Amino acid sequence: MSHPSILVVDDDPSIRRIVSEILAMEEYEVATAPNGAEALLAVEHDRPTLVLLDMRMPVLDGWGFVEALKERNIVVPILVMTAAQDTARWAAEVGAAGHLAKPFDMSELLAAVERLCGAI
Amino acid sequence: MSAYQLLQLMSQVLFVFITLVVTFRTVRRPLKTNVDTVLLFATIALIVAISWVDQVLGLNPGRVVSAATSSLLMALPYMLVRLVDDFTAPRRAIPRTAAVGLAAAVVSLWVLAPPYPGILVLLCVLYFVGFTCYVAGAFVKAARRSSGVTQRRMQAVAAGSLFLGTVILLAGISAATPSLSNGEGVVMTILGLLSGLFFFLGFAPPVWLRRAWQEPEVRAFLDRAASLPRMPDREAIVHELEQGAASSLGASNAVIGLWDAESGFMQYNLSRIPRELLPDQMIAGRAFITQEPVFSDNAERDDPEHAEVYRRSGARAILAAPISSGEKRLGVLAIYAAHSPIFADDDLLLVSLLANQAAVILESRALIDEAARVKALEEAARLKDDFLSAAAHDLKTPLTTMVAQAQLLERRARRNPTEPPNLEGIEALVKESLRLKRLVLELLDVARVEQGKLVNHREPVDLVELAREACARHSTTLHRYMLDAPGRLVEKYDSMRIMQLIDNLLENAAKYSPAGGDVCVRIRQDGASALLTVMDPGIGIPAADLLLLFDRFHRGSNVDDRRFSGMGLGLFICRGIVEQHGGSIWATSTGIGQGSTFHVVLPASGPINLASRQNPSSIDVEQTG
Repeated sequence: MSHPSILVVDDDPSIRRIVSEILAMEEYEVATAPNGAEALLAVEHDRPTLVLLDMRMPVLDGWGFVEALKERNIVVPILVMTAAQDTARWAAEVGAAGHLAKPFDMSELLAAVERLCGAI
Repeated sequence: MSAYQLLQLMSQVLFVFITLVVTFRTVRRPLKTNVDTVLLFATIALIVAISWVDQVLGLNPGRVVSAATSSLLMALPYMLVRLVDDFTAPRRAIPRTAAVGLAAAVVSLWVLAPPYPGILVLLCVLYFVGFTCYVAGAFVKAARRSSGVTQRRMQAVAAGSLFLGTVILLAGISAATPSLSNGEGVVMTILGLLSGLFFFLGFAPPVWLRRAWQEPEVRAFLDRAASLPRMPDREAIVHELEQGAASSLGASNAVIGLWDAESGFMQYNLSRIPRELLPDQMIAGRAFITQEPVFSDNAERDDPEHAEVYRRSGARAILAAPISSGEKRLGVLAIYAAHSPIFADDDLLLVSLLANQAAVILESRALIDEAARVKALEEAARLKDDFLSAAAHDLKTPLTTMVAQAQLLERRARRNPTEPPNLEGIEALVKESLRLKRLVLELLDVARVEQGKLVNHREPVDLVELAREACARHSTTLHRYMLDAPGRLVEKYDSMRIMQLIDNLLENAAKYSPAGGDVCVRIRQDGASALLTVMDPGIGIPAADLLLLFDRFHRGSNVDDRRFSGMGLGLFICRGIVEQHGGSIWATSTGIGQGSTFHVVLPASGPINLASRQNPSSIDVEQTG
């Protein structure tokens, strides 16, 4: 069985880089996207196991991305990951499987990802 | 009793009635005007009483009675003149002439026995008619200057005086031509009754009539007042209220004192000079303390301490009423009149009415202000919340990377102690911590901008040197900085902050410009100003953003938040630095994609530095990285 694949969507390049590095270390397959629009292309193409999603992004934000997924009848678990105080509320709004408030510990990140991938 | 006798009796009863009313009023409020009114009507009542006693006793009018009646009659014009004297400032000569005339008439009447010689009768009639006409004229003139109840009452008194004069004129004519006397008796009695009626309306009008007379004034004041609460500030409202109250009362001036419970002072605007007085000061203050209307017919006498204020405002008499809304004391309204009002009670009532209206207006204004204040507080709280959440968000981003990166480095080091250090990871950690440091410093600077404490230590510093260093520091392979400046420009600035300003402008110029775009930095001295201009070939600024750009968190609407990192605080801090140096900063741009120019003007010491500008070859420093 291949390793679970994770799509990391965040507009901040340094966060994309470090999150990818941590997940790759745990042998996840990782792809990244800087905004919702590119993430949508990646999801349509690769069907990742899990999407780590920042909400406030240029071009297409987290809400728009989730909306677009629904329109295309694509079902993929989402882990909302933002620096806003409303992380939990936003996660509920888009029907996410989980949420992670920035800044997070590496162990928190890995635990959340493992839990969501394991549940599938 | 014939109709003629009934008319006569009616006018007699009327005069006695007026006498009782004005006497009652004078006992309640013993003002000079009131006393003079009583004297006038008491004289008439006395004449009436003598005639009644005469009739009852059925005596032929004897010499004494005749002389006494005639003397009292001759006293009437003098009494009227005294009344005029009370509320206007006539020439001193007129009351004196009246007094002399009266004395001469009385002496003649007592010395000579009736029938009096024709010349004396003629002189007496001339004296009487002359002065009653003068009095009527004076009342008409005063009526024209006043308004509302006072105006109507003065008109009535003028009419009463005229009728009285006519009665005497006719009496004189009938005395001179006895053949006509029969018909004139009735006319004279009717005129006498009319005179009595008008005096009644003038000196003792019934309440309903006063209300009817007052209504137009109050209505005019209310019409004016309706739009007042929306005026830009409270001073303007107070000024309008003062003007409205003064014109409603036909007074020269009105003053409103506003009670400031916090400071414990009453705030007045006396002849456009704001003054704070203790609440019990001035006659107006008495109305405030007692919460009752107060009247003074001689302000300088009643409040010598502020005599100078009253003299300057031309206030002889003062009518004051408290401005209160229920239990809440708002202040006081004082009307300054050049002359003592003849009908102080009516005027005082009107002042109280106007003060109540003023209270309503000031209260609604206070409510509007309060609503605006609450809204502003909410807005400030919202801005603060926005600021905090934006700041928190921006701080969390580098922090996220730092925490994760540090933990990753730690885990790797533990798993493989022999592995060489992950230099790339360490560099990322350093880069993110510097980003965080910068953000924290920016946030602290924002707080300092708001406290006005951004600029501290000023020392002579060479602006050109600072710019040259900055150009060298910022130059990269992507952007060149062209410096066009005189040799030196030494001024007293906070060098750290000016450096921060230049750094910020140069960074922005590079950040928003395409690779390879040259940035022009120019420094000039123009009289007492140092000009710094930074011109870039970048994305430009939409016209709508040119001014807003320097506001906290405002970024150009053409700036893609995520392509160009930043909190929108840099220019806000730049403006703080420039303004706290006493200068100004602004931006110009010909449009989107057309580049931007930032202009800074800082105060300079002026032509002393001119020598340094002489350097003709203002060198173009080209620095490439």
